[in-house]
Amino acid sequence: MMKIRLVTDSTSDIPVEIALQHGIEVVPALVNMRGRSYADGVDITREEFYDEIPALNPPPTTSSPSVGSFQERYEKLLSNGAEHVVSIHAANQLSGIYNAARLAAQEFGEYVNVLDSEQLSLGLGFQVLMAAEAAARGALLNEVTALVDSVRQRVRVAALLHSIEYVRRSGRVSWARAVIGSLLNLQPLIELRHGAVIRLGQVRTRVQGILRLTETLNSWGPLERLAVLHTNAESTARQLVEEVKGKVNIPPLVVNVTTAIGTHVGPNALGFAAVPIDR
Amino acid sequence: MNPETQTRLEKIKAHPIDGIALKKLVEASLTWLRANQQTVNSLNVFPVPDGDTGTNMVLTMQSAYNEIDSLGHRAIGQMAAAVSQGALMGARGNSGVILSQLWRGFARALHNCETMDGQALAKAFAEARDTAYKGVVRPVEGTILTVAKDVAAAAEAALSETDDPFEILARVIPAAAESVKRTPDLLPVLKQAGVVDSGGKGLFFILEGMHRYIHGEPLDTPTATVQPLAAMNLENTMESIEPGQDYEVVVDFIPQGKFDLQKFYGDLEKIGTSIQVGEGEGMYRMHIHVTMEKRYEPIDYVMGLGTITKIAMENLLAQMESQSKSTATDKIELAKIEPGQIAVVAVSPGRGISRVFASLGVAAIVEGGQTMNPSTKDILEAFEDLPTDKVIILPNNKNIILAAQQAKEVTVKDVFIVPTRTIPQGLAAMMHLNPDGDVETIAAKMSKSANEVTTIEITTATRTVEIDGVSVEHGQVIALVNGKLAVSSTSVEEACLAALEKAETANYELVTLFYGEDLPVQEANRIVDLVRAAYPSQEIELQEGRQPHYQFIISIE
Repeated sequence: MMKIRLVTDSTSDIPVEIALQHGIEVVPALVNMRGRSYADGVDITREEFYDEIPALNPPPTTSSPSVGSFQERYEKLLSNGAEHVVSIHAANQLSGIYNAARLAAQEFGEYVNVLDSEQLSLGLGFQVLMAAEAAARGALLNEVTALVDSVRQRVRVAALLHSIEYVRRSGRVSWARAVIGSLLNLQPLIELRHGAVIRLGQVRTRVQGILRLTETLNSWGPLERLAVLHTNAESTARQLVEEVKGKVNIPPLVVNVTTAIGTHVGPNALGFAAVPIDR
Repeated sequence: MNPETQTRLEKIKAHPIDGIALKKLVEASLTWLRANQQTVNSLNVFPVPDGDTGTNMVLTMQSAYNEIDSLGHRAIGQMAAAVSQGALMGARGNSGVILSQLWRGFARALHNCETMDGQALAKAFAEARDTAYKGVVRPVEGTILTVAKDVAAAAEAALSETDDPFEILARVIPAAAESVKRTPDLLPVLKQAGVVDSGGKGLFFILEGMHRYIHGEPLDTPTATVQPLAAMNLENTMESIEPGQDYEVVVDFIPQGKFDLQKFYGDLEKIGTSIQVGEGEGMYRMHIHVTMEKRYEPIDYVMGLGTITKIAMENLLAQMESQSKSTATDKIELAKIEPGQIAVVAVSPGRGISRVFASLGVAAIVEGGQTMNPSTKDILEAFEDLPTDKVIILPNNKNIILAAQQAKEVTVKDVFIVPTRTIPQGLAAMMHLNPDGDVETIAAKMSKSANEVTTIEITTATRTVEIDGVSVEHGQVIALVNGKLAVSSTSVEEACLAALEKAETANYELVTLFYGEDLPVQEANRIVDLVRAAYPSQEIELQEGRQPHYQFIISIE
């Protein structure tokens, strides 16, 4: 029985089978559409969601899971033999999830550590996954949190969006609001750094975009983990994997990004999440 | 106060506030908040918001109420604890989470209490405030937190004069309303958007719902709202014209005697739609959409209420049509450059193209092109006054590159010329602009990017000639691919299609066509449809270019 257990939320994009294998508890975020709430990744498939989102009016919105849903998970783990819970979540700057977890943890004192990943998708997922692996190897609490710190410092996430529209209307990114006036269809290239969405540039075509995205990946140096992210662009993502799989020893994950993030980036986005080697 | 309300109030006041009474108050809060949910939602700062505050707060209150729905605790402490637990479990969004923390503090203060007197209520408000402030990582003023703080202060102040919890609640309501009104002074983003804080407003409705219940006022019809005059956004109502509502009537007036807003809304709803009411310094502004037959009715109606100071009536349909025609002539918004940033100067032959360049972040436009080459002075003047020393020039025509180079030589500014020869090359270069980047690196990237795009230019031959193996007669339509004569033809559409084929468009992703000032938009649309049919797997975009002489400038990427 593992003494330290990991909790995260569905924006971590850790594939279900891997989460199960490592005993990682995943609390779903909520996506609100068609007048009701869907548990992210549970009540609606990603394929369904991305097919529908362009036509949804009003567009979908997202909500953090309730404080109670985190309390339930902590309760369950601690009463089933866990000595400690490490709970790592979506960037506090971009979502209320971290705060909900933090409030839930207040009831459990020192038994639950809540950490802000400053990231999304596998940028968060890799922090959780590597922490779970360390815990399974018998690492102590301070070793696990030190590892999470180190991965958080190193991890990189970049993406090519198919349109600026979704990130603009999400209202969370100041530069996106400023470029409403753009008359041409632009595909922005973005990077997520310490909870801020930074614009690396923009392109007009997919071919150019993928070129720029791969250049960005190459600039990150040697990697120990890599994931290819997409929002319903499976075949392009598979091609990307062929191009970049030589860069890592562990085969890259390919992930259709969760609906809670997809709401804000839209379909047909491509991206990388990677952990450069610690030097 | 009418006798009925009086009796009801006395009846309620005769009992101390226990668990059962709290349950009724929570139910009233929920009902009233739900009735005003859309009002709270509409206060979001962003035009298409994420996570509507009103909805999130209602769902949180609903979860709180579900928790106590079947409970019959006499002790208020137990009931409040259940409310708190329910709110916590169902808290949605930031505002919902803070609301759950307010209830958590409220319940904590009432722990072990049987009933709640004035002192206990004030203490509960104070504890609610403290818990909510601790509930966020970085508390921000001008939000629901500020309103909670002002509520607690008002309750505390009232305590010196009364220990009646009903009286304290009555005094807290106006304090909450005032506090909500002040939120834009504390939070600039609210002021910019012309709204008050939505979470704070939600908290106000929660408290007001309790008060209205006590006084027997209805809880299911939402309050008619008056916006500050400055926040009234009448332009945007243009976009949604309901069928048959052809006229927009706006009347400014000063009401005489008592002005009943609820009745005012009710009466107006019988006349038309899209009703908005604004108020500022005693002056009211009424906005409504009506049918042609009813266009004078709102004016007659308002005349009965007070003194009319101004009337405006617009035919919306006519206005919409003229507006869509005039978009091409309105102002071009150039990027505002901060000192130290990179400013791009682009040469553009037409207003439509200038607008596209501006939308991509160009800081200055020099008008010019094939037959109207700008002078060195024209180019120099375009950037001399910009508040930065880092300048990149996109000549966008081979005949203008030299003039740009001369401008570089006579200025002290750090100027880079990216030798773009066509408009599409200039637009491709703009994809690499990062105003805060290193100017030399960016200029180099821009220069490289010129090869990423193929340009087709469609124009009419001015003389008979044979070049590059293509023979052309005066008056024929010709197409140049990357500056080389490639096609001659008798029609614009044939020239376009033949040139697209020569450029191997099928191997590319995106075709953008800028139509010139001599080509009617209907004709441009017709030709673009032919292009779409010929290239079904490419993305085809049509843009107004308004350049002279060239029917089309086409970019292939």
